[in-house]
Amino acid sequence: MTFVATDVSIRFGGVHAVDRLSLSVSPGEILGLIGPNGAGKTTFINCISGASRVDTGSATWDGEQLVGRAPHEIIRRGVVRTFQNVSSLHDLTVLDIVKLGEAAGRSSRGLLERFWSSERDRENGLTETVLRPLRLADIANQPLQTLSYGLRKAVDLARALAARPKLLLLDEPVAGLTSHESATMAEVIRSVRDRIGCAVIMVEHKMHVVNSTCDRIVVMASGAKIFEGSSQEAQKDPEVRRVYLGEA
Amino acid sequence: MNFALQLITAGLAVGSVYSLIALGIVLIYKCTGVVNFGQGGFLVLGAYLTYALRAAEIPTPLAVVGSAAGMAIVGMAAERLMLRPMARAPLVAIMMATLGMMILINAVCLMIWGSDQRAYPALFPDGALDMFGIFITYNYIAAGILSIGLSLGFLAFYRFTNLGLMQRCTANNTKAALAIGIHTGNQNCFAWSMSAALAGLGGTLLATLNGLSLGLGSIGLAAFSVVVLGGLDSLAGAVVAGLLLGVLQTLTAGMLTPILENFLRAYTSVYSVGALQQVVPYCLLVVILLVRPQGIFGRKGTERL
Repeated sequence: MTFVATDVSIRFGGVHAVDRLSLSVSPGEILGLIGPNGAGKTTFINCISGASRVDTGSATWDGEQLVGRAPHEIIRRGVVRTFQNVSSLHDLTVLDIVKLGEAAGRSSRGLLERFWSSERDRENGLTETVLRPLRLADIANQPLQTLSYGLRKAVDLARALAARPKLLLLDEPVAGLTSHESATMAEVIRSVRDRIGCAVIMVEHKMHVVNSTCDRIVVMASGAKIFEGSSQEAQKDPEVRRVYLGEA
Repeated sequence: MNFALQLITAGLAVGSVYSLIALGIVLIYKCTGVVNFGQGGFLVLGAYLTYALRAAEIPTPLAVVGSAAGMAIVGMAAERLMLRPMARAPLVAIMMATLGMMILINAVCLMIWGSDQRAYPALFPDGALDMFGIFITYNYIAAGILSIGLSLGFLAFYRFTNLGLMQRCTANNTKAALAIGIHTGNQNCFAWSMSAALAGLGGTLLATLNGLSLGLGSIGLAAFSVVVLGGLDSLAGAVVAGLLLGVLQTLTAGMLTPILENFLRAYTSVYSVGALQQVVPYCLLVVILLVRPQGIFGRKGTERL
């Protein structure tokens, strides 16, 4: 079971948002996807999760093609994403959101179960497996809109975890968080990987989080991959330095 | 006093049926942003379906359930055949299409059953219940209990079940629902079929109270004032406003009209003021739109710039 993207290209008019990008991730591995603004990182995540079309190339999980599938089909195959900007679903509570994530991740269920699954058991199960590890159990019944931005990000991650991910796509999980929250989030991401052994692709700008979390990184610029390797090597790479810092 | 109570109970029964129909409109609006002007069509078709099933000597409970199930299929078909292909069309175009759907349904009913007023088969036993001097026919009792029960059941379904949660999420923010992996197309389809089934049941119940003709659809229009009164996006609002409108209508017919007519007969040559109760909902509609455009329970629309 690996995720393999081969020559993925996405164009918006004349702009190559993603330009023949190839990468792979295995279970238990956290791949950092970094690059300057506009490099195409989020666009890449969008196209794997089905939110955006792909012009050419393929992306497979466990040998199964993801390109061309709708978001709800992709999530049922265990490929689950989080969002950079968490939108508010105003009156839904934390537990509601997590339940939605779980429901979206389940492959197929009978009509009867859709109406009458044992709610109490489900709620308790989700609280133990998802909310407690993320320290959200105490606020399970609060509406999302009353929570801080940092907590909303945590809820978004909880929703993704409830869908039982095999490949977790994290789009800037610590953007907009305080440094304390960032450190906690990084720790949570590592422990999630250790606990459920999923593959993770993480788009992130904060390098100290990337360094402490990712096993391997891919650097993108103008839609193309310009570097792949460890983060220590990346910092020495002349092309990466040029892209980030300009010509010396 | 007894007379007023008599009117109020009758009004509550009729009003609860309005609630049922209005719930369907709110449901579709919340899920898809479309105001379904075709709800009146669903109403008429549901009533005729029950009529046809009863005419085929199918027992009453089965006929009512069968017509609701039939309407659920009609609603599903409407979503698949009309709404889904129009997904990218402007909202106004979609609403016009729903109006067209109502005209189509009316024409089909006219073709099959003709334009005559028909005696509706008695779904509930004749007679009336005497409650402390207030007489209510079993028709009204059954209509009231059934529609209030159905409304509450539906609200509970929306609140407590998994599918209800997905419905709420889709209604809340369709794009977000899509993004987190909910098949919003199926959710919309479900909303349409539920809505059509609710309207069909409402139509059946209204026909037991008022008799059956194509004009029933215009009673469905009253549901729009209910929806505006309660707030387009509030399910609970639809229920409360429906009851309110029902009571207002019977009070108008039973008390305001006679008073006004007596006054006019005494001082002018005007003999009758006609069906004033048909005017009341729309007067109310205008007033509400002026004072509280989002409705009693509605959320004020906010748009992020």
